[in-house]
Amino acid sequence: MSGKPKAAFFDLAGCEGDQLQIANLEEKVLDLINIVEVVSFREIMKEHSDDYDIAFIEGSVTNDHLAERLEEIRENASIVVGLGSCATIGGINSIRNSQDHEEVKHRVYGDQADLFPSWDKAKAIEDVIKVDYHVHGCPIDRDEFIHVVESLVLGKDPEIPNYPVCVECKLNENICAFERDEFCVGPVTRAGCDSCCVNEGTICWGCRGLIDNPNDDAHSDVLEEYGLSAEEVMKKFNLYFGWQQEARKDE
Amino acid sequence: MISKEDFEAFVERLVKEDHREVVGVQEKGDKFVFDELKAAKDLRLDYDVTILPPKKYFMPQRETLVKYKVKDGHKAVNEITPRIILGIHPYDLEAIRQMDKVFSDTYEDKNYLKKREASVLVGVNIENVSEWCFAGSMGTSTIEEHYDLMLTDIGDKYAIEIGSEKGFELLDEADVMEASEDDISAVKKKKEGVKEKFEKKLDLPPEELPILLERSYGNTDFWKEHSEKCYSCGSCNLVCPTCYCFDVKDFNELTLDEGERIRQWDGCLLEEFAIVAGDENFRENRYQRYRHRFMRKGRYIHDRFGDIACVGCGRCGSHCVPDIADPTEIYNDLKEVTK
Ligand code: SF4
Ligand code: SF4
Ligand code: SF4
Ligand code: SF4
Ligand code: SF4
Repeated sequence: MSGKPKAAFFDLAGCEGDQLQIANLEEKVLDLINIVEVVSFREIMKEHSDDYDIAFIEGSVTNDHLAERLEEIRENASIVVGLGSCATIGGINSIRNSQDHEEVKHRVYGDQADLFPSWDKAKAIEDVIKVDYHVHGCPIDRDEFIHVVESLVLGKDPEIPNYPVCVECKLNENICAFERDEFCVGPVTRAGCDSCCVNEGTICWGCRGLIDNPNDDAHSDVLEEYGLSAEEVMKKFNLYFGWQQEARKDE
Repeated sequence: MISKEDFEAFVERLVKEDHREVVGVQEKGDKFVFDELKAAKDLRLDYDVTILPPKKYFMPQRETLVKYKVKDGHKAVNEITPRIILGIHPYDLEAIRQMDKVFSDTYEDKNYLKKREASVLVGVNIENVSEWCFAGSMGTSTIEEHYDLMLTDIGDKYAIEIGSEKGFELLDEADVMEASEDDISAVKKKKEGVKEKFEKKLDLPPEELPILLERSYGNTDFWKEHSEKCYSCGSCNLVCPTCYCFDVKDFNELTLDEGERIRQWDGCLLEEFAIVAGDENFRENRYQRYRHRFMRKGRYIHDRFGDIACVGCGRCGSHCVPDIADPTEIYNDLKEVTK
């Protein structure tokens, strides 16, 4: 890339919460546009261009139309970055993956359900195209986003943790969920959020997705040992694991 | 000797008047942590064990080492807060003694040593024993040196042993009295009594660990079996008072013309810990990493520094979600299978 790289932001099926995080960078937005030229960003500008180097994509893929759009973006961009859980792991959208599709459609669109053709499974963008980097989280962490952008501009690989949330929990001296008679998927979930949910006294729901090499067999066993049945485990943590479970089954 | 009432007044004065930060053991939910003291009454000298050891004051979880600006170049950073640390158990004092050695051995780690020098260590003998602790087996349930002051609860007063000039000076402001024969024998009894209180025990003298571990390094089945449920979460490293590994990372500001180099606690159980240049991971398998920690604690550090690098605090066992990290279970099982 010569000169300032051009960046474009896209949203598929998502809530645009991640783009909002970026729009809210406030004074840092200026630093951002100092190092990249933003050519497309619906949250903050009207203009749009198809001439870009880095594509940031939010949201998951839920129908043919979005999949086609995604493939076009892949062709235009030299680097594709997924933004937020919906894009990186299917996210909230994939809760429905284990539910009855017709029922879901009717719940969302009522009588007009048939006017909205959609897949029976929400997919992460990686399921459709090759993705170069991920900014995980629901929503994404602003500092991590900055780190990714700055690394890409400098031509370096961003450092995204590949260790579980437990690490950050320990650094923050939290009381572990398991010691509070609760359950947690932190031991198999990628850190990088500074264990923020546990810091607030709750648990980790796994919004940043699995680490590369999780011991998830052990995790079901362990949860069962702590008194949760396999079915309850599924139910409880489907929030973010719907797609990942599917994807791993196919491997 | 000091009455408990006078002791509280003394701590209160330190909190209010001393220029140094005063930290001590306090409640966090139904656990305990070392944290800054706001009032003397928050101090809980009867605690069982803290989540993290006091090591965090000399080697913070995350610490800036260097700041750089493209215009001005590099600047070494060492943020030192002089501290009085109240309520350190003997096993943690022993761990600090070992860390002092590690950080001044071949390379003098200024970031650790300067913080360490700026601290006053006030120990306390164990009142309540954590169910995971086995300090009794490691010879670390009491300690006779390596503190500035050492307290023992003997009913309505604390006995104070002075371990250094620093400790002596700290007492300047305290209403202390001479210990009587009875007091001295009460302290002695207390120290002897604590040894009996530990539920967890090692079935062998710690001196035998290096040999036992050397013999069982190749017992792959044993290590595989015990590590089957390991998440590689590193909790057992991160809570350990004698783990000292860290990872160094650079972070740039978005302006790209300034940034910092930080170090953060790391652990040999984490998958990427042993990746070296060229992306080769020389402890790729879970069981290898799992085994490595026990080898380090009971053998490698001993070969290198002459210490058994486990002080028996039991934190690793208590923080391991699948409950596979308790050293007494591993070492006792090993002894059983290695005849
Ligand atoms: S609360 Fe969850 S993430 Fe934190 S240490 Fe416990 S299991 Fe790990
Ligand atoms: S603690 Fe878990 S659920 Fe919360 S932000 Fe981090 S990864 Fe997501
Ligand atoms: S032994 Fe336990 S605490 Fe240590 S890495 Fe494995 S699961 Fe985590
Ligand atoms: S090598 Fe492992 S056991 Fe040894 S200090 Fe480092 S993290 Fe701790
Ligand atoms: S290995 Fe475990 S018991 Fe031994 S000092 Fe470390 S945390 Fe404590």
